[in-house]
Order: sequence, then C-alpha cells, then structure tokens
Amino acid sequence: MKKKMKKGKITMIVTIGIVCFILALVMSMQFKIVNETDITSIENMRESELRAELANWKSKYEETNQQYEEVTAKIEEYKNNKQSNDETEKLVNEELEQVNQLLGKTDVQGEGIEITLRETDNEEISRITSDDLVLIINTLKGAGAEAISINDERIINMSDIVDINGSFIKVNGQRILAPYILKAIGNQSYMESALIGNGGPIDEMKKIGQDVSVQKVNKLKIEKYNKDIKMKYIQ
Amino acid sequence: MIFIAILIGCIVGVLVGVNAPMISYTYSSYLAIAIIAALDSVFGGITSVINKNFDLKIFVTGFFGNAILAILLTILGQKLNVDIYLAAIVVFVGRMFVNFAIIRRYYVDKWSNMVKKHEKKVSKIEE
Repeated sequence: MKKKMKKGKITMIVTIGIVCFILALVMSMQFKIVNETDITSIENMRESELRAELANWKSKYEETNQQYEEVTAKIEEYKNNKQSNDETEKLVNEELEQVNQLLGKTDVQGEGIEITLRETDNEEISRITSDDLVLIINTLKGAGAEAISINDERIINMSDIVDINGSFIKVNGQRILAPYILKAIGNQSYMESALIGNGGPIDEMKKIGQDVSVQKVNKLKIEKYNKDIKMKYIQ
Repeated sequence: MIFIAILIGCIVGVLVGVNAPMISYTYSSYLAIAIIAALDSVFGGITSVINKNFDLKIFVTGFFGNAILAILLTILGQKLNVDIYLAAIVVFVGRMFVNFAIIRRYYVDKWSNMVKKHEKKVSKIEE
C-alpha cells in the first residue's frame, strides 16, 4: 500500500514537472516571438488586415508595373526618334562640311599643282604684280581648280589680290612676299596645260624671262581660310 | 518534492524555449490561446488541491485537452471568419479569476486564523 502511494506520488511529481516544462517552453517561445516580431505595424495587425494590406500592395505593384511599362515604351519611342534625329544630324553635318569645303573654311587635300614664282634680280625684267597672280588664278579656276592658295592664303570668293604702291602684294588683306607659291587642287594636266600651254599666263611670263616653275604634286595640302567671313549687308 | 519538480520543469522549459527556433508569427495566436488554456488548468489544479479533490488524470487531460481545443477553436474561427478565440479567452480568463478568488479566500482565511490564534496566545500569556 505504501509502495503504491509512493509510486503514485512519483508519477504525479513527474507529470507536474512535465506539465510545467511544457507550459514554460510554450510561454517562453511565445514571448520570444512577440519580442522579435517588433515591427509595430505587423504586430498590431491581424491576418485579415495583413491580407488586405497585401492585396493593396499587390494592386499598387501592378499599377506601378504598368506605369513602368508605359515609360519603357515611351523611352523606346524616344530612342527611335533620337536615331532618326541622329540620321538627320549626320546629313546636316555632311552638308555643313561640304559647304565649309566650298567656302574654304577647312583644310583640304588632293592632287594638284604647285606654282613657284620667284623675283629675279635682273632690273630689266618687270617684277611680279598682282595682275599676274590674278591672271594665273583665273586661269586655274577656268581649268577647274577646286581650291587655291597663295603663300598659304586661301583664295575664297571674297579674297582680294591687290598691289600696294607697286611695291608689294596683299592677299586677303595680308601682305605676302616673294617667292609666291600658288597651290591649286584640281585636274593636274588640265591646269598645267592651261598655264604653260601656248598663250597661257606662265608661258607669257617665261617669255619675258621671269622665274616660274610648275610642279605636279600628288598629295597637295591647302590650308583653310583662317579669318571670319562676316556678312554685314546681306540680310 | 513537488515544488522542486515545478522549479526544474520551469527552468528547463524556459531554457529550451529561448533556444528553440522561431515559429512563424501566424501561429503565435494559437500558441497564445494554448498558454491561456494551460494557465487556466494550472489555476484549476491549485484550486482543486485546496478543495482536496485534486485528480492528476483530470488535471493532465484538462491541461492538454483545453489547450488543444482552444487551438482548434481558433483555427475554426479563422476559417469561419469569426473571432472564436475571444470566447475562449473570456471563458478561460473568467475561470482563472474565479479560481484565483477561491485561492485568495483560502489563504486569507488561513492567515487571519493564524493571526487570531497568535493574538489569543499573546493574550493568554499576558493574563
């Protein structure tokens, strides 16, 4: 009887111990959860509220996604536009370059001839005048020269070649001195034959004894007109 | 002996619980209900000890049964979209207060009896 009682007591102690263990375990776990889930907004919400919130966010996300897609499409459109703009820009740039070349505002390069005129010491032979240079340039132009320069002064449509006091020559308002080196890009044989052919200006000059030489150059470089072209009266 | 068992059980339980892995926040409401049910059982057990009709089987079955039933009711309530766990909390906490009142009365009576006896003794000695 006594043994049975003791046995019952032991089982009771063990059972109560286990019960206490479980209670403490669950309680401490719960405390931990509540402590660590410290995001106030979530803590105060029930599952249904959270669901509503989630649905809300989802719709917001979808809306934002749609907006994003729209914006992406727009960007694509703009890109296409930009590409076509680039193309037109390219065309305009090409045109600009051509115009600049025509105007003489760029350095150009190509096959052509180089004419060197030297002053002679002989008093009997007249000195080289601007008229000689103008004549040569006109002949070159007539022979299809595309770019001409005298002593690296580019001849453009506004260029002037003048004698000052019969003592020196100004080109583009710049005083130039002998020897005069004329460079012209164009068809070499046309230009050469136009200059030194019978009755050509260089032929005439040679006849009166001036020191003139013509030279074919395959890669002639002509510098640009290095002043501003100003239009004052053209509106 | 019983107090030692309770103490050891509590300490080991807290240690294990603190080191246990986290449970998802979704399930914490079930755990809370189970804790309330278990605490109710504990108070009921103490009351029955005071009333001298403590039965281990009833205590253990009540402890686990109430907890599991409370959890199941909470789950059912969530499925039905009715907050049944409120009813469980009302019942359990109400019972806890009743049981606590019984325990309190018992110990207050005991204490006042002791005080009376002591006074009697003192008065006897004085006489």
